[in-house]
Amino acid sequence: MTEAKRTFGRWWTAGILLAAIAGILAVVSHDFLSMHVDLPIYPGDGVTEIRRLSDYFDGIAGSAADTDVYILEGSEPGGTALVLGGTHPNEPAASVTAIVLVENAHVEKGRLIVIPHANHSAFTCTEPQEGYPQTYTIETPTGPREFRYGSRGTNPIDQWPDPVIYINAAGQALAGAEVRNLNRSYPGSATGNLTEQLAYAIVELIQQEDVDISVDLHEASPEYPVINAIVAHEDALGIAAEAALFLEFEGVQIGVERSPENLRGLSHREWGDATDTLALLAESPNAAQGRLRGRTDEALIVEGIDPYYVRAAERGLVYVPFSEEGHPLSERVGRHLQTVSMLLQVYNDYTDAAIVVHDVPTLATLLQDGLGTYLAPPEDEAS
Amino acid sequence: MTVIYQIITACVIVLVGWNLFREKKLTGQLAAALVLIPLLLRVLMIK
Repeated sequence: MTEAKRTFGRWWTAGILLAAIAGILAVVSHDFLSMHVDLPIYPGDGVTEIRRLSDYFDGIAGSAADTDVYILEGSEPGGTALVLGGTHPNEPAASVTAIVLVENAHVEKGRLIVIPHANHSAFTCTEPQEGYPQTYTIETPTGPREFRYGSRGTNPIDQWPDPVIYINAAGQALAGAEVRNLNRSYPGSATGNLTEQLAYAIVELIQQEDVDISVDLHEASPEYPVINAIVAHEDALGIAAEAALFLEFEGVQIGVERSPENLRGLSHREWGDATDTLALLAESPNAAQGRLRGRTDEALIVEGIDPYYVRAAERGLVYVPFSEEGHPLSERVGRHLQTVSMLLQVYNDYTDAAIVVHDVPTLATLLQDGLGTYLAPPEDEAS
Repeated sequence: MTVIYQIITACVIVLVGWNLFREKKLTGQLAAALVLIPLLLRVLMIK
Protein backbone atom coordinates (compact mmCIF):
# COMPACT_ATOMS: atom_id res chain seq x y z
CA MET A 1 0.00 0.00 0.00
CA THR A 2 1.36 3.39 -0.93
CA GLU A 3 1.81 6.30 1.51
CA ALA A 4 -0.96 8.24 -0.23
CA LYS A 5 -3.43 5.38 0.17
CA ARG A 6 -2.63 5.10 3.86
CA THR A 7 -3.19 8.82 4.39
CA PHE A 8 -6.37 9.26 2.36
CA GLY A 9 -9.39 7.01 1.98
CA ARG A 10 -11.20 6.57 -1.26
CA TRP A 11 -11.05 10.13 -2.50
CA TRP A 12 -13.29 9.41 -5.44
CA THR A 13 -16.13 8.10 -3.23
CA ALA A 14 -15.67 11.21 -1.07
CA GLY A 15 -16.01 13.29 -4.21
CA ILE A 16 -19.21 11.52 -5.20
CA LEU A 17 -20.60 12.05 -1.71
CA LEU A 18 -19.70 15.74 -1.83
CA ALA A 19 -21.57 16.05 -5.12
CA ALA A 20 -24.55 14.30 -3.53
CA ILE A 21 -24.40 16.72 -0.58
CA ALA A 22 -24.40 19.65 -3.00
CA GLY A 23 -27.46 18.24 -4.73
CA ILE A 24 -29.33 17.69 -1.47
CA LEU A 25 -28.39 21.17 -0.25
CA ALA A 26 -29.67 22.72 -3.47
CA VAL A 27 -33.06 21.01 -3.12
CA VAL A 28 -33.63 21.59 0.60
CA SER A 29 -32.22 25.13 0.52
CA HIS A 30 -34.74 26.06 -2.16
CA ASP A 31 -37.47 24.59 0.04
CA PHE A 32 -36.38 26.39 3.22
CA LEU A 33 -35.60 29.70 1.50
CA SER A 34 -39.00 29.69 -0.22
CA MET A 35 -40.52 30.36 3.20
CA HIS A 36 -38.85 33.76 3.19
CA VAL A 37 -40.94 34.79 0.19
CA ASP A 38 -44.11 36.51 1.40
CA LEU A 39 -47.34 35.13 -0.03
CA PRO A 40 -49.46 37.98 -1.38
CA ILE A 41 -52.22 39.83 0.42
CA TYR A 42 -54.62 41.71 -1.84
CA PRO A 43 -55.80 44.89 -0.09
CA GLY A 44 -59.43 45.70 -0.74
CA ASP A 45 -60.64 49.16 -1.71
CA GLY A 46 -61.31 49.86 1.97
CA VAL A 47 -57.56 50.10 2.59
CA THR A 48 -56.51 53.74 2.46
CA GLU A 49 -52.83 53.41 3.33
CA ILE A 50 -50.20 50.71 3.73
CA ARG A 51 -47.36 51.51 6.07
CA ARG A 52 -44.50 49.52 7.56
CA LEU A 53 -44.19 48.78 11.24
CA SER A 54 -40.71 50.31 11.12
CA ASP A 55 -42.41 53.65 10.45
CA TYR A 56 -43.20 53.59 14.18
CA PHE A 57 -39.79 52.34 15.36
CA ASP A 58 -36.97 52.41 12.85
CA GLY A 59 -34.90 49.96 14.89
CA ILE A 60 -36.58 47.09 13.02
CA ALA A 61 -36.23 48.64 9.56
CA GLY A 62 -34.65 46.19 7.15
CA SER A 63 -34.97 43.30 9.60
CA ALA A 64 -37.08 40.16 9.33
CA ALA A 65 -39.39 41.62 11.98
CA ASP A 66 -40.62 44.49 9.83
CA THR A 67 -44.11 43.95 8.46
CA ASP A 68 -46.95 45.63 6.61
CA VAL A 69 -49.51 47.73 8.48
CA TYR A 70 -52.83 48.22 6.69
CA ILE A 71 -54.86 51.30 7.53
CA LEU A 72 -58.57 51.53 6.69
CA GLU A 73 -59.77 55.06 7.35
CA GLY A 74 -63.36 56.19 7.15
CA SER A 75 -64.65 59.43 5.69
CA GLU A 76 -65.85 60.57 9.12
CA PRO A 77 -63.53 61.09 12.11
CA GLY A 78 -63.81 58.64 14.97
CA GLY A 79 -61.78 56.33 17.13
CA THR A 80 -59.00 53.94 16.15
CA ALA A 81 -58.99 50.16 16.47
CA LEU A 82 -56.05 47.78 16.01
CA VAL A 83 -56.42 44.14 15.00
CA LEU A 84 -53.32 41.98 15.21
CA GLY A 85 -53.03 38.62 13.45
CA GLY A 86 -49.99 36.41 13.11
CA THR A 87 -48.50 36.94 16.54
CA HIS A 88 -48.12 33.15 16.46
CA PRO A 89 -48.05 31.98 12.82
CA ASN A 90 -48.94 28.42 13.90
CA GLU A 91 -52.39 29.83 14.78
CA PRO A 92 -53.73 30.39 11.27
CA ALA A 93 -57.23 31.67 12.08
CA ALA A 94 -55.63 34.82 13.50
CA SER A 95 -53.71 35.87 10.40
CA VAL A 96 -56.49 34.75 8.01
CA THR A 97 -59.01 36.83 9.99
CA ALA A 98 -56.74 39.85 9.60
CA ILE A 99 -56.37 39.13 5.88
CA VAL A 100 -60.18 38.87 5.46
CA LEU A 101 -60.48 42.30 7.12
CA VAL A 102 -57.82 43.81 4.84
CA GLU A 103 -59.46 42.37 1.73
CA ASN A 104 -63.13 43.02 2.60
CA ALA A 105 -63.76 45.62 5.29
CA HIS A 106 -64.82 49.21 4.71
CA VAL A 107 -64.67 51.82 7.42
CA GLU A 108 -67.34 54.50 7.57
CA LYS A 109 -66.17 56.25 10.71
CA GLY A 110 -62.82 56.20 12.49
CA ARG A 111 -59.89 54.01 11.58
CA LEU A 112 -59.11 50.31 11.57
CA ILE A 113 -55.44 49.32 11.62
CA VAL A 114 -54.67 45.70 10.73
CA ILE A 115 -51.39 43.79 10.95
CA PRO A 116 -51.86 40.29 9.45
CA HIS A 117 -48.27 39.07 9.99
CA ALA A 118 -47.35 40.54 13.38
CA ASN A 119 -44.31 38.30 13.82
CA HIS A 120 -43.12 38.26 10.22
CA SER A 121 -39.94 36.35 11.05
CA ALA A 122 -41.95 33.48 12.58
CA PHE A 123 -43.69 32.95 9.22
CA THR A 124 -40.33 31.94 7.70
CA CYS A 125 -39.93 28.65 9.61
CA THR A 126 -41.95 25.91 11.26
CA GLU A 127 -41.55 24.26 14.65
CA PRO A 128 -38.87 21.53 14.68
CA GLN A 129 -40.10 17.94 15.09
CA GLU A 130 -43.77 18.86 14.72
CA GLY A 131 -44.24 17.77 11.10
CA TYR A 132 -46.12 20.92 10.10
CA PRO A 133 -46.61 21.73 6.43
CA GLN A 134 -45.02 24.97 5.27
CA THR A 135 -48.26 26.12 3.66
CA TYR A 136 -51.96 25.36 3.68
CA THR A 137 -54.48 25.92 0.93
CA ILE A 138 -57.90 27.54 1.03
CA GLU A 139 -60.21 27.01 -1.91
CA THR A 140 -61.58 30.23 -3.38
CA PRO A 141 -64.30 30.33 -6.06
CA THR A 142 -61.63 30.70 -8.76
CA GLY A 143 -58.97 28.37 -7.42
CA PRO A 144 -56.77 27.41 -4.52
CA ARG A 145 -54.88 30.08 -2.57
CA GLU A 146 -51.85 29.28 -0.42
CA PHE A 147 -51.11 30.67 3.02
CA ARG A 148 -47.98 30.29 5.10
CA TYR A 149 -48.02 28.16 8.25
CA GLY A 150 -45.25 29.26 10.56
CA SER A 151 -43.76 28.91 13.98
CA ARG A 152 -44.82 30.14 17.41
CA GLY A 153 -41.56 32.02 17.80
CA THR A 154 -39.20 34.21 15.83
CA ASN A 155 -37.00 32.25 13.39
CA PRO A 156 -33.78 31.24 15.23
CA ILE A 157 -31.91 32.34 12.10
CA ASP A 158 -33.00 35.88 13.00
CA GLN A 159 -32.57 35.66 16.77
CA TRP A 160 -30.16 33.32 18.48
CA PRO A 161 -29.31 31.89 21.00
CA ASP A 162 -32.14 31.24 23.45
CA PRO A 163 -31.18 31.74 27.10
CA VAL A 164 -31.88 29.08 29.74
CA ILE A 165 -34.27 31.46 31.49
CA TYR A 166 -35.77 34.47 29.76
CA ILE A 167 -36.59 37.52 31.85
CA ASN A 168 -38.68 39.86 29.71
CA ALA A 169 -38.82 43.63 29.75
CA ALA A 170 -41.67 43.50 32.27
CA GLY A 171 -39.52 41.46 34.67
CA GLN A 172 -41.30 38.13 34.17
CA ALA A 173 -39.09 35.02 34.31
CA LEU A 174 -40.02 32.51 31.60
CA ALA A 175 -38.64 29.40 29.90
CA GLY A 176 -35.76 30.20 27.59
CA ALA A 177 -37.59 29.46 24.32
CA GLU A 178 -40.14 32.18 25.17
CA VAL A 179 -37.45 34.74 24.31
CA ARG A 180 -38.67 34.40 20.69
CA ASN A 181 -42.37 34.58 21.60
CA LEU A 182 -43.82 37.97 20.69
CA ASN A 183 -46.68 37.52 23.13
CA ARG A 184 -44.27 37.16 26.04
CA SER A 185 -42.09 40.11 25.04
CA TYR A 186 -44.32 43.12 25.64
CA PRO A 187 -43.92 46.00 26.30
CA GLY A 188 -40.70 45.31 24.45
CA SER A 189 -37.46 47.19 24.43
CA ALA A 190 -35.84 49.50 21.88
CA THR A 191 -32.45 48.02 22.74
CA GLY A 192 -33.51 44.42 23.34
CA ASN A 193 -33.44 41.37 21.09
CA LEU A 194 -35.33 41.32 17.78
CA THR A 195 -38.60 40.05 19.29
CA GLU A 196 -38.46 42.67 22.04
CA GLN A 197 -37.82 45.38 19.44
CA LEU A 198 -40.82 44.07 17.47
CA ALA A 199 -42.97 44.23 20.61
CA TYR A 200 -41.68 47.75 21.26
CA ALA A 201 -42.61 48.78 17.69
CA ILE A 202 -46.19 47.53 18.16
CA VAL A 203 -46.53 49.41 21.46
CA GLU A 204 -45.13 52.50 19.71
CA LEU A 205 -47.78 52.10 16.98
CA ILE A 206 -50.52 51.95 19.63
CA GLN A 207 -49.19 55.11 21.25
CA GLN A 208 -48.40 57.09 18.11
CA GLU A 209 -51.72 56.24 16.43
CA ASP A 210 -53.60 56.80 19.70
CA VAL A 211 -55.33 53.43 19.35
CA ASP A 212 -58.50 53.24 21.46
CA ILE A 213 -59.17 49.51 21.32
CA SER A 214 -56.79 46.68 20.37
CA VAL A 215 -57.51 43.02 19.69
CA ASP A 216 -54.72 40.43 19.49
CA LEU A 217 -56.02 37.33 17.68
CA HIS A 218 -54.84 33.86 18.67
CA GLU A 219 -55.70 30.18 18.64
CA ALA A 220 -55.22 27.54 21.31
CA SER A 221 -55.12 23.77 21.51
CA PRO A 222 -58.40 22.13 22.64
CA GLU A 223 -56.81 20.94 25.89
CA TYR A 224 -55.81 24.51 26.84
CA PRO A 225 -58.23 26.05 29.37
CA VAL A 226 -58.32 29.52 27.81
CA ILE A 227 -60.13 28.74 24.57
CA ASN A 228 -63.19 30.13 22.76
CA ALA A 229 -62.57 33.11 24.97
CA ILE A 230 -61.83 36.81 25.15
CA VAL A 231 -59.00 37.75 27.52
CA ALA A 232 -59.33 41.33 28.67
CA HIS A 233 -57.25 43.84 30.56
CA GLU A 234 -59.27 45.10 33.52
CA ASP A 235 -59.89 48.40 31.70
CA ALA A 236 -61.58 46.45 28.88
CA LEU A 237 -63.32 43.84 31.02
CA GLY A 238 -66.74 45.49 30.83
CA ILE A 239 -66.65 45.70 27.03
CA ALA A 240 -65.47 42.10 26.81
CA ALA A 241 -68.24 40.84 29.11
CA GLU A 242 -70.96 42.73 27.26
CA ALA A 243 -69.61 41.58 23.88
CA ALA A 244 -69.53 37.97 25.09
CA LEU A 245 -73.12 38.26 26.24
CA PHE A 246 -74.31 39.55 22.85
CA LEU A 247 -72.18 36.92 21.06
CA GLU A 248 -73.95 34.24 23.11
CA PHE A 249 -77.30 35.72 22.03
CA GLU A 250 -76.10 35.32 18.43
CA GLY A 251 -75.17 31.69 19.03
CA VAL A 252 -71.40 32.16 19.43
CA GLN A 253 -70.34 30.47 22.66
CA ILE A 254 -67.48 32.44 24.16
CA GLY A 255 -66.06 33.03 27.62
CA VAL A 256 -64.31 35.98 29.23
CA GLU A 257 -61.05 35.79 31.16
CA ARG A 258 -59.47 38.60 33.13
CA SER A 259 -55.85 39.29 32.19
CA PRO A 260 -53.72 38.07 35.11
CA GLU A 261 -51.75 40.82 36.80
CA ASN A 262 -48.92 38.50 37.77
CA LEU A 263 -48.20 37.09 34.30
CA ARG A 264 -46.29 39.80 32.55
CA GLY A 265 -45.29 40.25 28.95
CA LEU A 266 -48.58 39.38 27.23
CA SER A 267 -50.41 41.77 24.94
CA HIS A 268 -53.63 41.97 26.99
CA ARG A 269 -51.60 42.92 30.08
CA GLU A 270 -48.82 45.16 28.77
CA TRP A 271 -50.75 47.03 26.07
CA GLY A 272 -53.28 47.99 28.73
CA ASP A 273 -50.64 48.95 31.30
CA ALA A 274 -48.24 50.76 28.95
CA THR A 275 -50.79 52.62 26.81
CA ASP A 276 -54.33 54.03 26.98
CA THR A 277 -55.74 51.37 24.66
CA LEU A 278 -58.40 48.88 25.72
CA ALA A 279 -56.41 45.66 25.41
CA LEU A 280 -58.12 42.42 24.41
CA LEU A 281 -57.13 39.00 23.09
CA ALA A 282 -59.34 36.38 21.43
CA GLU A 283 -58.78 32.62 21.24
CA SER A 284 -60.29 29.99 18.94
CA PRO A 285 -59.71 26.20 18.94
CA ASN A 286 -56.97 24.80 16.69
CA ALA A 287 -56.40 21.05 16.87
CA ALA A 288 -53.20 21.36 14.81
CA GLN A 289 -51.50 22.97 17.81
CA GLY A 290 -52.54 20.32 20.30
CA ARG A 291 -50.43 17.57 21.84
CA LEU A 292 -53.17 14.97 21.35
CA ARG A 293 -53.47 15.44 17.60
CA GLY A 294 -52.97 12.66 15.10
CA ARG A 295 -51.88 13.11 11.51
CA THR A 296 -50.55 16.64 11.04
CA ASP A 297 -51.23 17.96 7.57
CA GLU A 298 -52.98 20.72 5.65
CA ALA A 299 -56.35 19.02 6.14
CA LEU A 300 -56.01 19.20 9.92
CA ILE A 301 -55.20 22.91 9.71
CA VAL A 302 -58.05 23.77 7.33
CA GLU A 303 -60.74 21.23 8.23
CA GLY A 304 -59.87 20.94 11.93
CA ILE A 305 -60.99 17.31 12.10
CA ASP A 306 -59.08 14.96 14.38
CA PRO A 307 -60.38 11.58 15.66
CA TYR A 308 -58.10 11.65 18.69
CA TYR A 309 -59.61 14.91 19.89
CA VAL A 310 -63.07 13.40 19.44
CA ARG A 311 -62.02 10.58 21.79
CA ALA A 312 -60.42 13.06 24.20
CA ALA A 313 -63.63 15.11 24.24
CA GLU A 314 -65.68 11.98 24.99
CA ARG A 315 -63.46 11.49 28.05
CA GLY A 316 -63.81 15.12 29.14
CA LEU A 317 -60.15 15.94 28.56
CA VAL A 318 -60.61 19.09 26.47
CA TYR A 319 -62.06 22.52 27.16
CA VAL A 320 -64.10 22.89 23.98
CA PRO A 321 -66.75 20.65 22.42
CA PHE A 322 -65.05 18.50 19.78
CA SER A 323 -67.21 16.39 17.49
CA GLU A 324 -66.45 14.51 14.28
CA GLU A 325 -67.15 17.76 12.40
CA GLY A 326 -64.12 19.29 14.14
CA HIS A 327 -63.46 23.01 14.11
CA PRO A 328 -62.76 24.10 10.51
CA LEU A 329 -60.79 27.22 9.74
CA SER A 330 -63.95 28.86 8.36
CA GLU A 331 -65.61 28.49 11.78
CA ARG A 332 -62.55 29.74 13.66
CA VAL A 333 -62.12 32.77 11.38
CA GLY A 334 -65.86 33.45 11.60
CA ARG A 335 -65.70 33.44 15.39
CA HIS A 336 -62.82 35.92 15.34
CA LEU A 337 -64.50 38.21 12.82
CA GLN A 338 -67.77 38.25 14.75
CA THR A 339 -65.89 38.81 18.02
CA VAL A 340 -64.00 41.79 16.58
CA SER A 341 -67.22 43.25 15.15
CA MET A 342 -69.07 42.80 18.43
CA LEU A 343 -66.27 44.33 20.49
CA LEU A 344 -66.33 47.41 18.23
CA GLN A 345 -70.14 47.63 18.42
CA VAL A 346 -70.07 47.52 22.21
CA TYR A 347 -67.17 50.00 22.33
CA ASN A 348 -69.17 52.38 20.14
CA ASP A 349 -71.99 52.40 22.70
CA TYR A 350 -69.67 54.02 25.23
CA THR A 351 -67.84 56.62 23.15
CA ASP A 352 -68.37 59.62 20.94
CA ALA A 353 -65.39 58.56 18.83
CA ALA A 354 -66.99 55.51 17.28
CA ILE A 355 -65.34 53.08 14.86
CA VAL A 356 -67.91 51.93 12.30
CA VAL A 357 -66.76 49.08 10.08
CA HIS A 358 -68.85 47.44 7.34
CA ASP A 359 -68.57 44.35 5.16
CA VAL A 360 -67.11 42.10 7.84
CA PRO A 361 -68.52 38.58 7.39
CA THR A 362 -70.13 36.89 10.38
CA LEU A 363 -69.67 33.31 11.55
CA ALA A 364 -72.97 32.32 9.93
CA THR A 365 -72.10 33.84 6.55
CA LEU A 366 -68.65 32.23 6.56
CA LEU A 367 -70.13 28.82 7.33
CA GLN A 368 -72.76 29.31 4.65
CA ASP A 369 -70.62 30.83 1.88
CA GLY A 370 -67.25 29.30 2.71
CA LEU A 371 -64.09 31.08 3.81
CA GLY A 372 -62.72 31.24 0.26
CA THR A 373 -65.61 33.46 -0.81
CA TYR A 374 -64.13 36.24 1.32
CA LEU A 375 -60.55 35.86 0.11
CA ALA A 376 -59.28 37.51 -3.04
CA PRO A 377 -58.80 35.02 -5.87
CA PRO A 378 -55.18 34.01 -6.42
CA GLU A 379 -55.41 35.01 -10.08
CA ASP A 380 -55.09 38.61 -8.93
CA GLU A 381 -51.39 37.92 -8.42
CA ALA A 382 -50.83 37.99 -12.15
CA SER A 383 -52.78 41.18 -12.74
CA MET B 1 -22.62 35.53 19.26
CA THR B 2 -23.92 34.28 15.91
CA VAL B 3 -20.55 34.93 14.27
CA ILE B 4 -18.78 32.87 16.95
CA TYR B 5 -21.31 30.08 16.37
CA GLN B 6 -20.68 30.22 12.63
CA ILE B 7 -16.90 30.09 13.15
CA ILE B 8 -17.27 27.02 15.41
CA THR B 9 -19.58 25.38 12.88
CA ALA B 10 -17.17 26.16 10.04
CA CYS B 11 -14.32 24.56 12.01
CA VAL B 12 -16.41 21.42 12.57
CA ILE B 13 -17.23 21.36 8.84
CA VAL B 14 -13.53 21.47 7.97
CA LEU B 15 -12.76 18.63 10.38
CA VAL B 16 -15.67 16.46 9.24
CA GLY B 17 -14.81 17.22 5.60
CA TRP B 18 -11.20 16.23 6.29
CA ASN B 19 -12.50 13.01 7.84
CA LEU B 20 -14.66 12.40 4.77
CA PHE B 21 -11.52 12.21 2.63
CA ARG B 22 -9.35 10.32 5.17
CA GLU B 23 -11.95 7.70 6.07
CA LYS B 24 -11.28 4.38 4.36
CA LYS B 25 -14.64 2.73 4.99
CA LEU B 26 -17.52 3.75 2.76
CA THR B 27 -19.91 3.62 5.74
CA GLY B 28 -17.67 6.05 7.60
CA GLN B 29 -17.62 8.36 4.61
CA LEU B 30 -21.42 8.17 4.39
CA ALA B 31 -21.70 9.09 8.06
CA ALA B 32 -19.44 12.10 7.55
CA ALA B 33 -21.46 13.18 4.52
CA LEU B 34 -24.72 12.97 6.47
CA VAL B 35 -23.24 15.04 9.30
CA LEU B 36 -22.10 17.70 6.85
CA ILE B 37 -25.61 18.42 5.50
CA PRO B 38 -27.13 20.08 8.61
CA LEU B 39 -23.81 21.74 9.43
CA LEU B 40 -23.67 23.37 6.00
CA LEU B 41 -27.33 24.45 6.24
CA ARG B 42 -26.54 26.04 9.59
CA VAL B 43 -23.32 27.81 8.64
CA LEU B 44 -25.03 29.25 5.57
CA MET B 45 -27.90 30.41 7.85
CA ILE B 46 -30.46 28.64 5.69
CA LYS B 47 -32.00 26.50 8.42
